[in-house]
Amino acid sequence: MTPALVLAGITKRFGGLQAVQDVTAEIASGQITGLIGPNGAGKTTIFRIISGAMRPTAGRIVFGDREITGWSPHAVCRLGICLTHQIVRPFPDLTVLENVLVSASFGSGGRLRHSAGAEAEAVLEFTGLIARRDLPASALTLAERKRLEIARALATRPSVLLLDEVLAGLNPAESQRAVELVRQVKARGVTIFMIEHVMRAVMALSDRVLVINHGRLIADGPPAHVADLPQVIEAYLGKRLEG
Amino acid sequence: MPAARASLPSAFGLVLLLALVPVLAPGNITLLNLGFLTFLYVAQGVAWNILGGFAGYVSFGYAAFYGLGAYTTALLWLAGWPPLLTYPAAGLVAAAFSLIVGGPTLRLTGPYFSIATIGVGEAMRILMLNLDRITGGASGLNLPTAVPSKAWFYLLALLIAAAAFTVAALVRRSPFGLGLQALRMDLEAAEGLGVRTALFKNLAHTLSAFIVGACGGLYATYLQFVHPDTVFSFTQSISLVLITLIGGIGTLWGPVLGAAVFYAVQDYLQTSYPTFHLLVYGVLLILILLFEPRGLVGLAGRLWRPLAAAVSRGQAGAGAGRTG
Amino acid sequence: MFSAENLISVGIAALLTAGLYAIMSYGLAIIYGVMKVINLSNAGFLMLGAFLALVYFQRWHLDPVLGAFVNLPIFFAAGWIVHRLLVRRVVTALPIASLLLLFGLWLVLQNLALAVWGGEDQSIITAYTYKALPVLGFRIPVTRLIVFGVALVVLSILHFALGHTYLGKALRATVQDPVAGLLVGIDTEQINAMAFGLGTAFAGFAGGLLTLLFSFNPDFGGTFQLKSFTIIVLGGLENLAGVTVGAAILAFAESYAVLFMRASLQNVIAYALLVVALIVMPGGVAQLLSRRRT
Repeated sequence: MTPALVLAGITKRFGGLQAVQDVTAEIASGQITGLIGPNGAGKTTIFRIISGAMRPTAGRIVFGDREITGWSPHAVCRLGICLTHQIVRPFPDLTVLENVLVSASFGSGGRLRHSAGAEAEAVLEFTGLIARRDLPASALTLAERKRLEIARALATRPSVLLLDEVLAGLNPAESQRAVELVRQVKARGVTIFMIEHVMRAVMALSDRVLVINHGRLIADGPPAHVADLPQVIEAYLGKRLEG
Repeated sequence: MPAARASLPSAFGLVLLLALVPVLAPGNITLLNLGFLTFLYVAQGVAWNILGGFAGYVSFGYAAFYGLGAYTTALLWLAGWPPLLTYPAAGLVAAAFSLIVGGPTLRLTGPYFSIATIGVGEAMRILMLNLDRITGGASGLNLPTAVPSKAWFYLLALLIAAAAFTVAALVRRSPFGLGLQALRMDLEAAEGLGVRTALFKNLAHTLSAFIVGACGGLYATYLQFVHPDTVFSFTQSISLVLITLIGGIGTLWGPVLGAAVFYAVQDYLQTSYPTFHLLVYGVLLILILLFEPRGLVGLAGRLWRPLAAAVSRGQAGAGAGRTG
Repeated sequence: MFSAENLISVGIAALLTAGLYAIMSYGLAIIYGVMKVINLSNAGFLMLGAFLALVYFQRWHLDPVLGAFVNLPIFFAAGWIVHRLLVRRVVTALPIASLLLLFGLWLVLQNLALAVWGGEDQSIITAYTYKALPVLGFRIPVTRLIVFGVALVVLSILHFALGHTYLGKALRATVQDPVAGLLVGIDTEQINAMAFGLGTAFAGFAGGLLTLLFSFNPDFGGTFQLKSFTIIVLGGLENLAGVTVGAAILAFAESYAVLFMRASLQNVIAYALLVVALIVMPGGVAQLLSRRRT
């Protein structure tokens, strides 16, 4: 089966800093692929490169049969790849419904034709925000804002959803709800690529896990297997002391 | 937004009322002149607000569009065109220019865009002053004196203001308007959700430039004289900024209120020296930025809500009394 | 027209202008650098600086150069007050809010000056206004030499203060990274107020100096302000040392351009450079230079 997304030799340099080095991976269609690694390893940078917010210094990104390296973010979104942000960015003075209406109207690349309004309502139902639809987004709690972030992305009818630390800052009950939501999104057939620090969630949700350290891909495989690899343990905990 | 839904019908009613003025007071030239200028600035303020209020790009250089419109009408009129036909042409010339300067400058963010527009506006004024073979330079251009009546100008300006208001109202309700507001609040997030931010900004810019250009053309016929230091002046540019900010930036009725107040105040304050009203506006602007960024519309909203609540409470009380 | 003598004469004029431009732009540069605020009221304070120098001259026969120095503490206080009362309250909102607030202040200052002094051009004529000195074989107006000399001295003091006093270092630190500044114990609130005061002081000072060279009215300042923006963008928006470089670039570009075009078009150069620089190289010349190094 063709992978949903292919990263080929993705490299990003900021002046003297090598943020991402030669990352090559395939994101399988219809699965949840986790992206883990210590802080500052380059994970969000990779996401920003995929979504078009940043150009790679070298390397290619292939979506289906199209090369999308260097495409602008709105074009990437309309093609079917949508990014949610680590620090949520709702449109504060628009209502919850209007927030989702923005992406429903513009992000679906014609997949929605004239039903943006209906799609927005449906997505709000799906993410459990329909009761808050007429409130300004600034009035939502953090957990609700995270769900709004996902709702906005879903309204673009994406085939690939990039989730950046969607569980960060949530209490256990809220986390549970979020994990459930991610499972439901996968059930709809959306390919999910997610950055996460909450290990239990990543290992439980992911079909495959990529591990990044210092901008390099150091492991790529099923969660249980990756968790036991010495280089992964070393990345998080440091070198084992002798004696 | 229920308030927005009510806007077009109430605006239509207001326009009908105002259109009666030349019928009821045909000889009152002062009133007709005041009306003309007010409507002209309502149209421009409403247009400016599409880019400045909805999209959040505050331009201090719209005099460039006004002036280009004025000179387009002037030159075409002198070449024999009937004035009415020159106004769309004036709008088109201004719109074309906006595409040229808008492309690069709209890539700048907030304050930098504003500073760049000051530069563009002033550069245009100086260029026009120096192109004296075309523009008449420092002596300006005298235009034909066969003009329609003041009532004609009044009604045409009212029509243009009404048209501009309708355009702005339609934009606000449309997905385009939603996209503009989204990009104002968070450009990168909007872009990532599929909004073509560069295209939308330029569209808003060009649409408003067209309207302002047409207004410039109308003004040229009214004044029967054009000069770079009037139509391309920085004062002309800042009038639009002031009208919209004081009225309520980003709101639909803001520029309307702002223009009405602007001209009423200016007329009333024609005292010691011609720019005293600018002192008042400077102070108003500071007060508004410190206390009520939504301008007069915001203030009205603050007063309206407790009033409306009190009124409905009073009605409920009366009803209960009657049935009891 | 393009004789060596003419070219050198233009060059000297450009150099003298550069000094003036630098001293006039530092106020704006400091406020922008520290607070990231574009101070449109700078033009108003520049104009008031000129008018106050006029008042000192008319009342107490005070030489405008001394008048400029007298302006320093007065305008510092004024800037401090403006910051406390007005600027501090909108800085947290959108960046455009402080720009618009200061624009409003400019309108107020301009029209207050109109109310007090009227709209006619004013000028200060001293004993040396029309004198010229022979320098390197060219006759240079004494006023231009004085302004250049004063500018040089003040800029040197400023450069020394920025590098060697606590305040100077705190200012530069806040320009580079306000959060880091907070972390090392710099009171950014105080620094902001100081920066605004200093910036305004410089505006008043420059305004006083400018009376030696130009006549002025309440509309005075707008063109200089735009040129100052051009200068700080050219020099690199967050680069305090770049101001002198930007001033030199603009002064030389303007002076030599007049050899090719009408004098009345001269200001268009500043405006065109401003727009081009903002779009093409917002980091200014400094950014261009550092790019070549990596």
